[in-house]
Amino acid sequence: MSKTKKYWTGLDQLHNTPEFQERVENEFAPEATAEHLLEGDNLDEGSTKRRDFLKFLGFSVGAATLAACETPVNKAIPYLNKPEEITPGVPNYYASTFFDGTDYASILVKTREGRPIKIVGNKKSKLTSGALNSRVNSSVLSLYDSARATSPMKDGEATNWTTVDAEIGAALAKLGEAGGSIVLLTETIISPSTKKAIAEFAAKYGEGVKHVTYDAISASGALEANELCFGVKALPAYDFAAADVVVSFGADFIAGFPNGAANAVGYGKMRDPKGGKMSRHFQFESNMSLAGSNADVRVALKPSESVAAVISLYNKVASATGGNTLSGGTSEYDATIAKAAKELVAAKGKSIVVSNSNDAGVQVVVNAINNLLGNYGSTLNMANPLYLKGGVDADMDALVADMKAGKVGALLIHGVNPSYSYGKAADFNAGLAKVGLTVSFADRLDETAAAGVTYLTPDNNYLESWNDSEAQAGSYSLTQPTIQPLFDTRQFQESLLKWSGNDSDYYSYIKANWAGIHTSSPDGGLLFNDFFNTALFNGVFESGTVGETPEFVGDVAAAAASIKKVPAGEFELELYVKAGLGDGSQANNPWLQELPDPISRVTWDNYITMSPKQMEEMGFSRLERGDFMANLAEITVNGVTITAPVYLSPGQKYGTIGLAVGYGRTAAGKCGDEVGVNAYALSTGSFAVGSVSVSKVEGEYEIAQTQSHHTLMGRDAILKETTLEEYKQDPKAGNPDLMLYVSSAGGSGHGDDSHGGGHGDDGDGHGNEEAAKEEHASPFLPAGEVNLWDDHAIGNGHRWGMSIDLNKCIGCGACVTGCGSENNVPVVGKEEVRRGRNMHWLRIDRYYSSEMTEEHAEEEGIGAIDKFTAMEAAAEAPQVAYQPVMCQHCNHAPCETVCPVAATTHSNEGLNMMTYNRCIGTRYCANNCPYKVRRFNWFQYHSGSQDFSTNPANDDLGRMVLNPDVVVRDRGVMEKCSFCIQGIQAAKLSAKKAGRKVADEEVQSACAEACPTNAIVFGDLNDKESWVAANAKDERSYHLLEEVGVQPNVLYMTKVRNVEENEA
Amino acid sequence: MLVNDKIIKRRGSLRLASLVLTSLIFLSSFAAFAQDGEKLFKQNCAACHLPTDKTVLGPGLKGITERAPSEQWIIDWIKNPDALIASGDAYANEIKEFSPTAMAPFGYLSDEEIVAIIEYVKNYAPPVEEVAVVAEGVVETSGSGTLDEGTLRNVLIAIGGLLLVLVFILSSVRRSLTQLVSEKEGVEAPEELGTWGTVTNWMNAHRGWVGVIALVLILAFLKWGTIELMNIGVYTGYSPTQPIAFSHKIHAGQNGINCVYCHTSAEKGKTAGIPSLNVCMNCHTHVAEGPSGTDEIAKIYTALDFDPTTKTYGDNPTPIEWVRVHNLPDLSYFNHSQHVVVGKIECQECHGEIQEMGVAEQHSPLTMGWCVDCHRTTSVQVADNEYYEDLHERTPSWHDGNPVTVERIGGLECGKCHY
Repeated sequence: MSKTKKYWTGLDQLHNTPEFQERVENEFAPEATAEHLLEGDNLDEGSTKRRDFLKFLGFSVGAATLAACETPVNKAIPYLNKPEEITPGVPNYYASTFFDGTDYASILVKTREGRPIKIVGNKKSKLTSGALNSRVNSSVLSLYDSARATSPMKDGEATNWTTVDAEIGAALAKLGEAGGSIVLLTETIISPSTKKAIAEFAAKYGEGVKHVTYDAISASGALEANELCFGVKALPAYDFAAADVVVSFGADFIAGFPNGAANAVGYGKMRDPKGGKMSRHFQFESNMSLAGSNADVRVALKPSESVAAVISLYNKVASATGGNTLSGGTSEYDATIAKAAKELVAAKGKSIVVSNSNDAGVQVVVNAINNLLGNYGSTLNMANPLYLKGGVDADMDALVADMKAGKVGALLIHGVNPSYSYGKAADFNAGLAKVGLTVSFADRLDETAAAGVTYLTPDNNYLESWNDSEAQAGSYSLTQPTIQPLFDTRQFQESLLKWSGNDSDYYSYIKANWAGIHTSSPDGGLLFNDFFNTALFNGVFESGTVGETPEFVGDVAAAAASIKKVPAGEFELELYVKAGLGDGSQANNPWLQELPDPISRVTWDNYITMSPKQMEEMGFSRLERGDFMANLAEITVNGVTITAPVYLSPGQKYGTIGLAVGYGRTAAGKCGDEVGVNAYALSTGSFAVGSVSVSKVEGEYEIAQTQSHHTLMGRDAILKETTLEEYKQDPKAGNPDLMLYVSSAGGSGHGDDSHGGGHGDDGDGHGNEEAAKEEHASPFLPAGEVNLWDDHAIGNGHRWGMSIDLNKCIGCGACVTGCGSENNVPVVGKEEVRRGRNMHWLRIDRYYSSEMTEEHAEEEGIGAIDKFTAMEAAAEAPQVAYQPVMCQHCNHAPCETVCPVAATTHSNEGLNMMTYNRCIGTRYCANNCPYKVRRFNWFQYHSGSQDFSTNPANDDLGRMVLNPDVVVRDRGVMEKCSFCIQGIQAAKLSAKKAGRKVADEEVQSACAEACPTNAIVFGDLNDKESWVAANAKDERSYHLLEEVGVQPNVLYMTKVRNVEENEA
Repeated sequence: MLVNDKIIKRRGSLRLASLVLTSLIFLSSFAAFAQDGEKLFKQNCAACHLPTDKTVLGPGLKGITERAPSEQWIIDWIKNPDALIASGDAYANEIKEFSPTAMAPFGYLSDEEIVAIIEYVKNYAPPVEEVAVVAEGVVETSGSGTLDEGTLRNVLIAIGGLLLVLVFILSSVRRSLTQLVSEKEGVEAPEELGTWGTVTNWMNAHRGWVGVIALVLILAFLKWGTIELMNIGVYTGYSPTQPIAFSHKIHAGQNGINCVYCHTSAEKGKTAGIPSLNVCMNCHTHVAEGPSGTDEIAKIYTALDFDPTTKTYGDNPTPIEWVRVHNLPDLSYFNHSQHVVVGKIECQECHGEIQEMGVAEQHSPLTMGWCVDCHRTTSVQVADNEYYEDLHERTPSWHDGNPVTVERIGGLECGKCHY
């Protein structure tokens, strides 16, 4: 299958433009360097002559030498009273919980000398199974954000808590007595103790107190539908690990859902073809989402066509299971829908239908389908539902109306930023002006706090706070502080309690509240303190109480009739949530800004996504030139106009555009402000906006994308794939042994220099080789045995290796931020990314593929018109594959042999080591690396330069996030993936100290640790029992560019698509 | 105490403890394998008791076997004094009046171990030689009879200089004499060349020699230059003045306090750790005066805002800024616990005779060459460590009978220390 396939990273590669060729050959884009250095400095105009320069040079060298001769006096300041649990140099892990209204994760916080430096998943949680996404593992950097408010403020001026408490207390008391309206506007609250504190606050200030929940990314429709169908205003907990068939209507359930990473765990389990069984995933959507890119069958449709598709599926399922059908259920995608329906019915009780629609009617129909299929109680859990979303849009709309009518006396805003994220932000701001007392608990002077809020009473960061949560009925977790508050801030709950006249600290408050959970739990036998401390240690307390599945009582016909039509039009817009930045609350986090979008590979921006065909028709540049200048377009909906760059998105439905929310902040901080445009402004309460007008406007825009960086020199056979059917017949399908022609075959396999010419491209040459092998078995050897060098003693001791299952990799990017956090990878900023100098040690290549290639066309005698039509069609609906690539730790590493100073050497444990202090920056190694995984420090990113102010290591606060076990690299040295050697050393040391073997999975690279689907597995290849060794033996395992003969310690496993012939 | 100082000089291994308080010390002490009474005593008892009749925090233990009702009584008392008191034992209730601070229980000591301690106390004989030693303790210069390297070099340079002067004098004498002889004999004196002329003449005549000498000089200069350059940043012998004149000699030497009692993290983490002041206060709550008076110890109290008379802490503490003696560059990762726990290396191997140092100084150069030299020669203790045993089994190339050095398991690889 792979033989006839063409993989490409972008249209420029597909069409192989001259600019692309040039870029491929020119890895370091040197001409940009000189420009950049001279920019603004006027070096060329200055009076500094060459001789002066040499004098300065001589002087500074002399001065530096003299200075170096002096003994440096370093101070060492020990604790006055060392906390018992802290040993300098030894990390402590604390179980905690992350919840920000968008993502929920049970986590472990790694602290060093009392400061949090990394977030990893907490595997003790059955709800999340230790899964987290980039936003959660990047959240540690948001703690050290210099844009945070450092004290309470009144009208933008710093003040103190005493004043604030007195003034707010008095104002509230006055309102309370007068029976005025006091509104608490919050994100979804899942904390039982916070709910109690809010109730206490309400009791104190009387009838007028109202609590309104608002979600920037709303699930209002689903909540209303579940209330209608089950009487429960909550979301179902999905069990993707039990779902053989998944049908999603636009729902990015592995990235956009509040429990997305946990869904990915189950989803990943079902993507293992071992045993010949895999889940089958249908996706119907207009934008290419993360879930859609992983689907086996993906149908692109317009947002306005989605409703009909859902009803059509309902009708087909209903007629197969004996339910009542609805009217109007025909769709132009009926063929695929019928197939989906058939498979769903065949997998009754083991399937999931899910939709991202914010229309209650659509969600009721989706619920009805699931009900007909008997999924409730098996794959969908409504007995113990999720409470992760609680906002009902109508409540918020009503509040804004009340505010505008001047009916609200006081507004206390916590955890939400409506002036930024509310569709009608102008209305909200107008209403805000009419509210008497306005208080914001935001951690900074954000858009809402700056829009006329009187008091800013900043909340602690979650890493400085106590909290509890009940994410799922019966599943509790605790958040504990891992650092003292950095600034003069106070927890929201404590402020609330204080204003309610309760001086208790929130910790005692939670503890008192947990007495109730204790008595109702099956662990009631434990003493309360033991119970609480155990829960705190574990981070979670999952009672295991299984609720009763409520009966489905929804009225499908009425619901279907109530569905609001998405306005159809020539262009239809659907807003989406990026896997990186999410709802934008962490927009000032540079790790997330620089994380390339999984699909577009663009950093530091949002953009209008459009189908390549449409871009050509409308005259938009498809960015095939090397300069990555995008054209601008203007989109107008309901009188709101936004101008944004247009970026191509193969797979985007023709006639639709997409735009990500979370960007365009104006008061987030130096990294998040003025990055992209605010798409929330186009929201109509639903992200499926529908008809918009789009027109090209003058101007060009710089896009910083990373996919075409570090390309693999046109070597195509790097991604291997097959189908489930072929895999079942032959597990080695798609992954045949690569045979190389050697002139003196049968020899040792050493020292033959002709192998380089032996393999042609992987296409037709392959077949010839195999044919030749049959005739004369001798002149061919498997690529793994052809060798120029003497072998290392690889069977000895440890040999650290990694396997990457392309089938399980969903492309989410959690590994990239996890790696950056562990290894102090610098953030370089948009300009440098544009120059191809992003420093991520780990990149996730995204490949589109189609069946048609130039060669194939030539062979089959396909005419030019048909050929290009087929190619373009593929670009409209391409298959997508992700491939994480980091240093492959070759046993015969080409980089090692060319380093003139032996700065990169081989370890006896199979690692390719990089010694920064030896490196003199020749960059020979990077030039000689076939995988393009080495990164060069062009600048001193960590200090002194305003150009890199987005790099966390560039300010005192941000520097606190650095991992002290890893060196911060200086200008002029090479760096690359080290297999987290610091972790290997630490694990070995603890094994040695305890006098035991290193256990499998004890050593984890940061990427493997962060991976929610276990696509990345790390371990000792020489440990027969290890997971990675088992994977290495799997028939699907292969080495990247095996014919180069570098014998990497990273293995990839063939991607298996669950598709039928001629499908997709 | 002063007496003991001499003993330490004579018998390096015998370190007498005299003064430390609290039972915490036992937690950090090394496990006692043998029934070595002396070792057990120093680890467990020396903090409060002396084996003489002198009282420190607890009573002197000389004659304990005669005083106490029975050996079993002593064992019971040591294991749990409170229980013995509570049981109404007469002697126990009598001696509990000794101090308001109760003795801590030592339940983890076995009967055999306690008997060994009693034996040690019974047989303890104070050192015979009693020579007063200057009690400076803190700053001390050690005079010694032999020529050290520096003096030898100076002497050689002086001799060389003298010889040079002699050569000059002799040559000018010779010249004068030749001139005189020539004058006397009426021979025309050769043209006066002067010293420089003579030298150049000689050099012209002996070009080979000049070349050799020049080569030797250049090589010597290069060697000297290289050594000097290599020593940039090497601070062997660095002993900065510290904010508190803390003496390892008194604490580790004379009082025999175990290194890891204070440097607790040496067994746990990468740094040995400078003890926090609460560790100091374990003893210095009670010990307010040292050999040099009260000033130095008072600095601890100031730092902690502690009032020694009322024994209360204020709320205005200020941390002590010690001057770091060992400054390993950040680019190399060094882990104490690897060397102390796994490698079982004594502190002194790298830090020198720290228990003899009044002012702590850097003993080893901390250069990479120094690390590598040790890694080349040190054998890994494979036996009794399942980690190494497993690794050994999996590595046939180690089965050649030669010692498995740190180098052979990869201890010279860059990535083991630099990442």
